[in-house]
Amino acid sequence: MTVPEAERPDSPKNQQDRLEVADISKAFGSARVLRGIELRIAPGELHGLVGQNGCGKSTLVKILTGIYTPDPGGAVSVDGRPLALPVRPLDARAAGLSVVHQNLGLVDDRTVWENVRLGRFRAAGPFSRRIDGRAERRAVEEVLDRLGADLDVNEKVGQLSAEDRAAVAIARAMQDHQPGGGLIIFDESTRALRKDARARFFELVNGVIAGGASVLLISHNLEEVVAVTDRVTVLRDGTVVEGGIATRETDETALTRLMLGRHLLTHSRVDSHAQDETVARVRGLAVRSVPDFDLDLKKGEIIGLTGLVGSGAVAVAEAIGGARPAKAGLLTVNGKDIKLAAGRGSTEDFIKAGVAFVAERRLEQGLAGDLSVAQNLTLPRVRSRGSRLRIGGGWQAEETAAMIVKLDIRPPEPDKLVGTLSGGNQQKVLLGKWLAGKPDLLVLHEPTQAVDVGARHDIIAAIREAARDGCAVLISSIDAADLAVLCDRVLVFRDGQVADELTGDLDQDAIIHATFGVSATAAGAAPVVTGQDNESTSKGVVR
Amino acid sequence: MMDTTRQEASPATGSGPGRPARSRRPFSAGQFTARYAIIVVWAAMIAVYAGTEHGLFWSAGTFQTIFSSQEPLVFMTMALMTTILVGEFVDLSVPAVFSFAATILPVLVVNHGWSVWAAALVAIVGAVGCGVVNAFLVVKLHVNTIVVTLGMSTLLEGVSLWMSDMNSVSGMPASFGKIANQDALGLPIDFWYGVVLVLGFGYLLAFTPLGRHMQFVGASREVSRLSGVRVDRIRFGSFVFAGLLSGVGAVIAAASIGGYDPTSADSYLLPVFAAVFLGTAIFQPGRFNPLGTFVGIYFLETGILGLQLLGLQAWVSDVFYGGVLVIAVTISTLLHRRSS
Repeated sequence: MTVPEAERPDSPKNQQDRLEVADISKAFGSARVLRGIELRIAPGELHGLVGQNGCGKSTLVKILTGIYTPDPGGAVSVDGRPLALPVRPLDARAAGLSVVHQNLGLVDDRTVWENVRLGRFRAAGPFSRRIDGRAERRAVEEVLDRLGADLDVNEKVGQLSAEDRAAVAIARAMQDHQPGGGLIIFDESTRALRKDARARFFELVNGVIAGGASVLLISHNLEEVVAVTDRVTVLRDGTVVEGGIATRETDETALTRLMLGRHLLTHSRVDSHAQDETVARVRGLAVRSVPDFDLDLKKGEIIGLTGLVGSGAVAVAEAIGGARPAKAGLLTVNGKDIKLAAGRGSTEDFIKAGVAFVAERRLEQGLAGDLSVAQNLTLPRVRSRGSRLRIGGGWQAEETAAMIVKLDIRPPEPDKLVGTLSGGNQQKVLLGKWLAGKPDLLVLHEPTQAVDVGARHDIIAAIREAARDGCAVLISSIDAADLAVLCDRVLVFRDGQVADELTGDLDQDAIIHATFGVSATAAGAAPVVTGQDNESTSKGVVR
Repeated sequence: MMDTTRQEASPATGSGPGRPARSRRPFSAGQFTARYAIIVVWAAMIAVYAGTEHGLFWSAGTFQTIFSSQEPLVFMTMALMTTILVGEFVDLSVPAVFSFAATILPVLVVNHGWSVWAAALVAIVGAVGCGVVNAFLVVKLHVNTIVVTLGMSTLLEGVSLWMSDMNSVSGMPASFGKIANQDALGLPIDFWYGVVLVLGFGYLLAFTPLGRHMQFVGASREVSRLSGVRVDRIRFGSFVFAGLLSGVGAVIAAASIGGYDPTSADSYLLPVFAAVFLGTAIFQPGRFNPLGTFVGIYFLETGILGLQLLGLQAWVSDVFYGGVLVIAVTISTLLHRRSS
C-alpha cells in the first residue's frame, strides 16, 4: 500500500495547505490503529474522507481534536504552522480547526445563541461574572449572517428543524475562523439529516467554503461524497490507500472497491449444498422501508441480502432473526409458525423453532465480554439442555471444546473472558454460540466484519459446513466478496424492494454494481448517479 | 497468518487506549493475592488484636459475639446482591424493607395479640409486596432504580415508625425465639441459616440455568434478550426475591431479639453496601459473589469489635465501614480493570 504524495494534478500548488497531517500513527497497546497517515487539505477545498467501520477515521478525528495522543513522529499543521501534539483544544480553536460531530452536539433545551457560544461566554465587565447576553447575541447574529442562515437567536434549539439545527452547529464551528481561513471537520454530520434537508445543509457548507474555509467531510454516504467533494482520501485498515484523488476521476463503485480492498480469495466457490426441501418460509414481511417481502429458503441454501444503508436488507434479516419486531409477517420454520409482527414470539420461541441470529455488534448484542467463552457459548441452551437445578458441566465442556476446535478459537481456553479475545476470535465465539445449537435457519449480519483474513477463512468454512449439514443460511452483508464466495443467490435491496436477484456464478463486482444500481458495463465509465438525489445538484456550486 | 493486532484496535473489543492486553493466567501469584488478600488481612487483624488486648479479644465470648450477631446483615446483603447481579445497581430500600417486616411481626404479636406464625407470614408477605412494588416501578414503568428505592425506603421507614408508635416493640414469646437462638454446633442456629443461604445462593449462581441467566442479564440485557433469556421476568423476579429474603431475615431477626427497634433501619444501610462491595474483593476479584460477601461481613465485624474492645467509641464503626467500603471498592475496581 503506497502513500501517494501530494504531487497530483489536482493538488493546488504554490499554496500553503490549510491542514497537513504528516505521518500520524496511533497504537493502542500492540494494536496499530493508524499507520503513517498523510492528509493534505487545500484552502477552500471540500475534501472527503471515506472508509469502512473500524478503518481509523474516528481515531484520526480524535487525534485532531486532542482526545487521543498520536504516537511520536507525526505532525499536524494548519496553514503551515505546526500544532503541538497532543492537540490542545484551545490551540485548535485558535488555528480555526473545528469539528461538527455526528449528533451535532447541541443542547436541545437551550437557545441558539447559548449553543453557539457554549464554551466561549465572556463576562460583561472586568469585575463582573455575568454573561453579557446582548453582546453574545450580537456576535451570534453576525456569525449566522455570515453563514447566510436566518434564525432567531433566542429560539430553543429543540424547536428547530433539522437543517436549522445543522446551521447552528456550523455557526458554532465557524465563529472563530479568521476571514479566509479555518477548517471544519464534519464527522458523519449528515446522518441525522433527511435527504431533503441535506441539500440545504450543503448549501450552507458551500457558503462556508466560499468564505475561504476548508471542509473535511467524513461520510458513509458515498453518493454524497462523490456529489459534493473536490478530492477524496480513502482509508483502509488504518492506512491511506488513496490520498486526495480528484473526485471527478472516480465514482462510488471505485471508492467502494478501495474501501473494501480486494479480499484475498481464500475460498473459491464450491457447489451449492441446497436441497429440494424447503425448510423456512417468510410471508408478507413488512419492516422499516420494506412493505412486503416473501422468501423461501431450502435446506442447505445460502441466501445473501445486500443493499445500501436504509434499503431494508438489514431490517429484513433482523426481523427474520427475531431481533427486531416487524409491522407484519409470518415466519414458518420446519412447519412451526412464528409471528414477526407485534405479539410475536419471544426470542426464546425463535430459538426453539430452530432460528439462530448472529448479530452485527458482537459486544453489544452478541456476547458478554465479562463472562467466559464457555458461558457465552452455551448460554442459549442452559435451560433446554440442563435441568432446573443444575446446568450440568459435561455437555458445556463438550460443546465448548467442539466449537473451539471447529472454529480454531484462540487461545483455546474455555474459561478465558470473552472481552480479552481479539475481534476475530470473539466473532468465532459468537458464531459457535449459535452453531452449537444446530439451527435450521441461521441468520447472520456482517459475519466477517472487522476480522482478519485467517478468522474470515474459518468463519466462511464454518458457515458452509452448516449449510452442508442442511441448515438454511441468510446473510445480510455489504461485503460483496463474502457474498460472492458463500451465496447461492443474492437479493439486492433498493428502497425497500428487491431490485435485483443474482444467481449462479457470482462475482463481487456484479454484486457491487447491483447494489449501487448500475449495470456492470456502464460502471467503469460514467460517474454514478443513483436515484433522485438532491446533493448532486450542489456539485456544480462547489467546483 | 493471525493478524491479531488489528482486531484489538476495533472499538468493539473494549480495550481502552494505552492498556495492553494482558493474558490471564489461572494460578499466578497475583491472582492468588487478589483472591485471598482480605483473608490474610483478616488473620493479621486477629493476630494484632489478640496481641494487644491481653486475652480480652482472644476468648470464646468474642468469637461467639462475632459469629452470632450478623444474621440480619447476611440476609440483607444477599437481598441487595440479588438485584445488583441482574444489573440494578443500587437498591437503597433493602434495610427499610427488612425493618418494615421486622416491625410488623412484633407489632401484630405484642400489640394486637396475633399468633406468631400468622404474624410472621404477614411480615414476609409485606416484604415481598414491597419487592413487587419496586419491581413494577423499575421494570415495567422504567423509573430510575435509585429514585424508586430511595423513596420506597423513606416511606417504609415512616410507616414502620407509625406502626410502632416510634418505640421499640418487645415482648415476643420466648418459645418463638428458639427458631433463631437455638444452639447448634456451638453457635446460634441463625448463623447456620446464613451459611445455608449463602451456599445456596452460590450454588444457584454457579450451577443453575437461572443463575447463569441472571449473570448474563447483569452483564448485558441486549445480549441476553437475543439469546432467548426472559430479561424482564428475571429482573422482576429479582426484586421480588430480594423482598422475600428481607422478609425472612427480618422474621428471624425479630424472633432472635424478641422484638424490634424500627429506628435501627438506617444504621444498616452502609454496612450492607460495604459488605457487598467488599465481597467483590474476595474469592472472585471484581465480581459480586455471595461467599465473598459472607466473609466480608465477618471481616468487618471482627475489625469493629476489636476496635471497640480497644476502648474506642461507637463512631469507630462508621469510620471503619466507610473507610473499608472506599478502599475495597477501589481495589476491586482496579483488579477488575486489570483482569479485563
